[in-house]
Amino acid sequence: MSEHPKADILTPLILRIAVAWRGLFAVLAAAVAITAWVGGLPEAPTWQKVLLSLFLSIAALLSAFSAQQLAVRNHRGRIISLALDYLAFVASTVMVLNVGEVFIGIDALGETFGRGLPYLGIVIVGYFLSSLDEYSNRKRTSEQSLKQVGRWVMIFGFILFLWQVDTVSGVLYFLGKLAQPAGLVSVAGMVIFGAALWGMGRQPTAVALRAKTSHEQILNGWLFLSPNLLGFLIFFAGPLLLSFYFSFTDSDAFNTPNWIGFANYAKILNIRFATLTSPTQLARDVVDIKIYDEVGRLVIGNWGILFAAADKFFWLALRNTLTFALFAVPLSVLPALVLSNVLNSKLTGMKFFRAVYFMPSIAAVVGISLVWQWLYNATIGYINYFITLGIEFWNNLFNLAVVDPKIQWVSDEKTALFAVILIAAWQTMGFNTVLFLAGLQNIPGELYEAATVDGAGAWDKFWGITLPMLAPTTFYVVTTTTIQAMQVFEQVFILMNPPEGPNNSTITMVLYLYRSGFQNFKQGYASAIAWVLFIVIFGLTLIQFQRQRQSSIYES
Amino acid sequence: MKIQSYRLVRFLNNFFLYLILTFFALVMIFPFLYMLTTSFKTPADTFRYPPRMMPRNAVTTTVAGYDEPLPLYYVDVDGQQKQYALAKSNIKVGTYAPASDLTSTVERYLTEVKPTGGATNQQKVEVNGKQEKLFDVTVDGQVIPMILISQTTVGEFVDPQAPETKVYRNVRLSEPVESLGGHPENYTEVIELNNMARALTNTALVTILVVLGQLLTSVVGGYAFARLKFPGRDTVFVFYLGTVMIPFVMLIVPLYQLMVLIGWTDRLAALIIPWIFSAYGTFLMRQHFITFPKEIEEAALIDGASRLQILRQILIPASVPALATQATFTFLYAWNSFFWPLVIINVGNEKNHVLTLALNVLRGRASDTPNLILAGAAIAIVPPLIVFIFGQRFFVESVASSGVKG
Repeated sequence: MSEHPKADILTPLILRIAVAWRGLFAVLAAAVAITAWVGGLPEAPTWQKVLLSLFLSIAALLSAFSAQQLAVRNHRGRIISLALDYLAFVASTVMVLNVGEVFIGIDALGETFGRGLPYLGIVIVGYFLSSLDEYSNRKRTSEQSLKQVGRWVMIFGFILFLWQVDTVSGVLYFLGKLAQPAGLVSVAGMVIFGAALWGMGRQPTAVALRAKTSHEQILNGWLFLSPNLLGFLIFFAGPLLLSFYFSFTDSDAFNTPNWIGFANYAKILNIRFATLTSPTQLARDVVDIKIYDEVGRLVIGNWGILFAAADKFFWLALRNTLTFALFAVPLSVLPALVLSNVLNSKLTGMKFFRAVYFMPSIAAVVGISLVWQWLYNATIGYINYFITLGIEFWNNLFNLAVVDPKIQWVSDEKTALFAVILIAAWQTMGFNTVLFLAGLQNIPGELYEAATVDGAGAWDKFWGITLPMLAPTTFYVVTTTTIQAMQVFEQVFILMNPPEGPNNSTITMVLYLYRSGFQNFKQGYASAIAWVLFIVIFGLTLIQFQRQRQSSIYES
Repeated sequence: MKIQSYRLVRFLNNFFLYLILTFFALVMIFPFLYMLTTSFKTPADTFRYPPRMMPRNAVTTTVAGYDEPLPLYYVDVDGQQKQYALAKSNIKVGTYAPASDLTSTVERYLTEVKPTGGATNQQKVEVNGKQEKLFDVTVDGQVIPMILISQTTVGEFVDPQAPETKVYRNVRLSEPVESLGGHPENYTEVIELNNMARALTNTALVTILVVLGQLLTSVVGGYAFARLKFPGRDTVFVFYLGTVMIPFVMLIVPLYQLMVLIGWTDRLAALIIPWIFSAYGTFLMRQHFITFPKEIEEAALIDGASRLQILRQILIPASVPALATQATFTFLYAWNSFFWPLVIINVGNEKNHVLTLALNVLRGRASDTPNLILAGAAIAIVPPLIVFIFGQRFFVESVASSGVKG
């Protein structure tokens, strides 16, 4: 209470400075925006200049508006002012970290981190010690001491960790880097914007501008959301828009991209169908092979259709990806449906089996694919060995002479894609089982009891109750599994050598995207592939959604 | 009588169900077992056919008169199977017979037999219309010219108790004496061969930072969505929801260009910073916080607590299971991710490799030693499995309740 008179002197001063500061900010932002556009950044691509000057112009306008609002003591001015200063403060902090090479320095931390890792273990032990008191029923005093001990262990462990990873020299390096013009400017920015934030954020200023609780909620809300939202805009929404832009350019990641309109999409969709007069007729007789390559042909008797495309690999990839999804989704969903029903029968050991089925889905796809690569080995692999044993058993049982096929799983173009499908189905089945199980446990038991009273058998109950009641879960499982299947990449990349497989039999959409974008560096084209893939996925999801809605309408 | 038949039916029914469950459990667990056991084998052991599950060691024994311990083999001696030590291998033996009687064969070392008439002017004889070279073979002290019918390589096996007893058998057809036993040194070998130690620490570093960062941003963001009213909140939330279904591959090209722009290609920062902001994680946290009773919070607000204090002292301690679940998911995602590291970290820049990238390199580097490759795979796969076994109960529970797709 006694500080009130003092605050009353300070607050009007702060407000007066704030109005001037907002004016200055507006002028500076506008000046930088104009310089950037006029030619201050000769090397930057157009989209960067546009973005930068757009942001700065908006900031300048808002800042001027805020200055006017603050001058008439309107609280809206405070909110805008805080938002602008906050963004500028974050920007200068990022600049400080960048100039101090903190982001790049993570690499150096990778070198020493291994030494510090055991000491992080001490921190974790300390954490467990300090959290033990919530579970212990002992007297208050001993709990307190346990908590204290845990805290000290944590601090001790963390200091040792910092020492081991060479924090001291890291900090010294950071400070050394800051002592250059860019660093000093950024630090100055942090200080100025920080001071502005403090001046506007303090309680007396808020009171002087007649802030309400709802205003505090607005500020808190955006403040709490801001780390997430900024990251989301920079690393998700922004790139998504950029991707759309790139798909209309010939971007190669390093040179300035040129706008080429729909050329990328036109190339992808440039296809020809031609009728064949004989099944063995060559592609060059019916299409212009300077532009088109044969993708496939459909032959019925003496008549046939040839399918040719300007980009044959895209269509092969689409074919393979759809084939993959067509088999991998049912193979991982149907067994999961069966297993979840078995697991739901309340037998002992259900949780054990559930955990075992779940295991494949948490293992790294790369590691799993390596393991399967050796299981698939044609001469020493277990899969062919089991097939051999099975055939021998069969032959002995029925006195037959079935020949052991000795399948060349990954090097035969007929089986290569199927080998990938098996791995994917094996890996996602357990996850789907757990999802189905959850859906099953939500079905009220009374339904089954009523059905039993009506004399329904187990099979009737499954068709009449389980399946319809499980429809939402099924929809979810099928949709997510399909979306995942359409993006198959890692299994193919590891299992196949080369990843396209024998005769392009395992080239998939994402693999082709990777090859176009990061091996041939046709990144504009790769972006177009990404958008086509997205449309395909979106279409499949929409179809499933429609079917789901139709079936639920039908039920009700 | 009736009750008994009911019991029988139930027993058969359960038996059948357990049969299905066990079959699938074996299918699920077999590749893991194969990976672990193979990673402890010797290279020769991995290439054996028919394949065997358990790793084995060749049994060796010291025999008087030999410096090094010799491997033991099962050898047929006078119709009895005995364990003899292999003293010498790659001994060339020829089967010889006189041209007049091809069925009366004798066996001699190639080195003991000289060409008839000297090496420069070797005599020949016609057998079945073909010219065959003649050799001087000593039989019972007599030198008889014979022709070489066939030639094999054998090993010299000695009785460990009586080293003077020697027999000669084909080594490849003899079965070695083996005992169960692993080779854990495969792991140190693969770590040295492929910089796996560095990849492991890099992966741990990346994973820890991504998990911590993502928890932090998701918790505060989720709290804002769940509890604070501000204009634009619902619009942003719908926006977040709309992007949850967008596949990551959509972003890979522009994100790569962004990394080129800020100079993070080939840097660990590129594997960390973009991944600590997750729309999905925020969504899940919001769903969790929204179930939390509002009254406690309102009481704290009246007591003058700030929003941050409420979050730190009331909400977070009460949300440990939800946080742990999300941490586990993020852990798995960060630990197992491959596509983005493949794009952003150069193959040659091995000091910034994460485990999945190291495995990709190892695949080419150790293609003839499956034991090493699978040891590498185990290094990448086992830590998440350990996390899973510890957190298994509520982890699986929460998948079941929230329907998260990993």
